[in-house]
Amino acid sequence: MSDDKKITSVEKLRELKSRVKREISLREDGYQACVTVHMGTCGIASGAPEVLDAVLDELEFSGRTDIRVTTSGCIGVCSREPVMTVELLDEKKVLYGDLDPDKARQVFRDHVLEGKVVPRYVVTLGDGA
Amino acid sequence: MMRDLSLHVLDLIENSIRAGATRIWITLQEHPALDRMEIVVEDNGCGFEVSPERAEDPFYTTKEDKHTGLGLSLLKAAAELTGGGMRIGESELGGAKVEVWMGLGHVDRNPLGDLAAALSCMVCTHPEIEIGCKIAVGSSVRVVQSSNVKAQLPEGERIGLAVARRVSQEIKRALADLGAQQ
Repeated sequence: MSDDKKITSVEKLRELKSRVKREISLREDGYQACVTVHMGTCGIASGAPEVLDAVLDELEFSGRTDIRVTTSGCIGVCSREPVMTVELLDEKKVLYGDLDPDKARQVFRDHVLEGKVVPRYVVTLGDGA
Repeated sequence: MMRDLSLHVLDLIENSIRAGATRIWITLQEHPALDRMEIVVEDNGCGFEVSPERAEDPFYTTKEDKHTGLGLSLLKAAAELTGGGMRIGESELGGAKVEVWMGLGHVDRNPLGDLAAALSCMVCTHPEIEIGCKIAVGSSVRVVQSSNVKAQLPEGERIGLAVARRVSQEIKRALADLGAQQ
């Protein structure tokens, strides 16, 4: 196991528990996608609430009930806030950054609804997301 | 800097969620006669693991890969700018309690902002958590609680978005009816 994956604190254990729980329930609860808007202090101060509002608006407009939208804390990419993670069932997670409501709407429509990643706003792909 | 007090509340709610809370209560109390506003956020999470002084330190965080924890110190600074302050400790719910007070009519007090939107988005994205909000102006009080709102909706409409919309409407109505200062 690489050093960055070692559980060295209660905090890391909580994060792991929360991530695994989310992944399991995504499948078990019948969700096809999960959108996580990161709402640490840095995210909130940078406009994450407006991004979340836009995503919830798009979710309502889509009429889809198999998409989960949730929030979590800062993931350490403060300079790219507001950021959000998109996870489609059985696909790699994608972290998007430098978002605003319009960009978030585009990511929701193109990636979450259509399955097409929006490269211009991607920060990381895969486990880092 | 957070421009609205509701963003600080949102930040505290996120802290509560990270602390494993399943019940979060927000109290907004305005005392026009005393020119004082109080905001309390408390939960049944794991509480503070360090002293209040340590928790308020902007260079203290529970996150291993970070070196700063600005949320509480920014809130404290916002309160102190208005002649107020912040106190943190244990809640009767079993977890943490963060209490701030500030000058209601002070020129440097941040606006309340959209409290209804801040709380309703958390109700929507964390349906498993019971979120309650008590709004009081003087001796008049209104309480909006996510579980009560959910119970009032028809069986088929008890999904996150519908509950959140109703919570938002009820908070806006409570603020307007009580004449709360924004």
